[in-house]
Amino acid sequence: MSLRFGILGVLAEEPLHGYEVRHRLESMLGGAWEVNVGQVYLTLQKLERDGLIEPVGARGDRRKLAYRLTAAGRGELDRWLDEPEVEPQPLREGIYLKLLLSGRLGNGNLGALLARQRRAQLQRLHDLGDLERRARREQREDLALLVRGAVHHTEADIKWIDECAGGLGFLERRNRGGET
Amino acid sequence: MSSLIELRGVSKVYEGNEGRAALDDVSLAVEAGELTAIMGPSGSGKSTLLNLVAGLDRPTKGQVTVDGVDVATLSEARLARFRCERFGFVFQFFNLLPNLTVLDNVLLPAELLGTRGREAATKARDLLAQLGIADREREHPGRLSGGERQRVAIARALINRPAVILADEPTGALDSRSGDRVMDLIERLNQGGQTIVLVTHDAKVAGRYAGRIVSLRDGHIEDDARLTSGSGAASDLFRVGSSGAER
Repeated sequence: MSLRFGILGVLAEEPLHGYEVRHRLESMLGGAWEVNVGQVYLTLQKLERDGLIEPVGARGDRRKLAYRLTAAGRGELDRWLDEPEVEPQPLREGIYLKLLLSGRLGNGNLGALLARQRRAQLQRLHDLGDLERRARREQREDLALLVRGAVHHTEADIKWIDECAGGLGFLERRNRGGET
Repeated sequence: MSSLIELRGVSKVYEGNEGRAALDDVSLAVEAGELTAIMGPSGSGKSTLLNLVAGLDRPTKGQVTVDGVDVATLSEARLARFRCERFGFVFQFFNLLPNLTVLDNVLLPAELLGTRGREAATKARDLLAQLGIADREREHPGRLSGGERQRVAIARALINRPAVILADEPTGALDSRSGDRVMDLIERLNQGGQTIVLVTHDAKVAGRYAGRIVSLRDGHIEDDARLTSGSGAASDLFRVGSSGAER
C-alpha cells in the first residue's frame, strides 16, 4: 500500500491528526497489517511540504495537529485513483535461484526442494482461508476480497512450482552443465 | 488399530497402456475423521486411487483395506453392498437421476440396501433440511441450480451414514460462490466427525479446506502434507506496505 495516498485518501473524508490517520487506515485494512505511526508523521510532514495537505488550526503539540487536504492534494489523489496500478511483476527469483544453485552444488534434490516449497504455499492457502473466514464472520467483505487476491497469487505460485516440477529433467540437465 | 482406509504397496496397470502403471507402489493410510485432499495433474493417478479405494476397480498388486476389510476378497455382490454401506459418493456432475424427485434421489442408496420406508424418508428429509433445501424435495433435479443439485448429491451420499464420503471434484461444475458453499457444507460434515476424501485439481479448494493434502504425480505420491490451522498471523502473510513515506 502506498502510505502517501492512503493518508491523502482518509484526509479526503475529514480532517484528522496523525494518530487518527493511523487508526483509520488500520481499521480500513481490517488489521491486515500494521501502520507504523512514525511513518505516518513523517509522511504527513512531507505531504505538507509538498503543499498537498495543510494544518487545521494553530500549530502546537504535533500529536494533536489535524490536517486537511488542499486543492492540490485532492487533484493528486484523484489522479492516483484514476491511474491503473502497473507495478513490476514479482518474480519468484528466490526459489528459482535455489533450484539452479542446489543442482550445481551437487547437494540438491530439486524434486524435494519443489515439494517443500509447494507445501509451504499450500499452508499459506490454508492460513489465508482462515483469514478470509474471519473477515466474512466479521462481515468485512472488503477485507475478504483483499485476501482473495492473495489466494489467487498463491495459487499461481503453486501452478508455477508444478510446472517447474514437470520440467525437472531439463533443470537437472542444465544444472549439470549439459545445456546452457 | 488399523486405519480406516489403507493402501499397501498398491499398483494398478490398465491393459493396453504399454505396461505403464497408473498407480505405482502407493502406500497410504487415511484415519477416521480426516479431510484428506488428493491432488495432482490429470493422469497423475487421482481417479485410479479413488476407484481402488471405492472398490470400483481392483489393484494389480498390493492391498486395499477399508475398515479392516480387504476389498479384493469380496465377491462382486458383497462388494456392491459394502460400497453402498461404507461410502457416500459426490461427483463433479452430480449424477442425479433426472426423472426422480429430489427426495427419491436421496432415498436411492437406502433402497439399494433395502432400508426404504418411513425411517429412511425421515432421515432424507432431515438431511435436506440440514443442507438448506427442504423446500425442494418434490422438485426434479432439472429445476435446481448447480449448487442445489450438489447439495442433493451430498444428502444422497449421507443417507446410509457412510464411514467415508468420496468427493470427486465436487466444485468442478460450480461457480466459485456455489462451490464455496458446497465446500463449507463438506467442511461442516468433517467437523462433525465425517471422514472425507476429496479429489481436486484446485489448490485453492484443497489448501483452504483440507487438513491433509496428498499430491500425486505420475502414479507416485509426490508429497503428503499435513496443514495446521491458526498458525498464520496476518502480519506474517502480507508484507507491510510502507512505500510512499520516502517519496
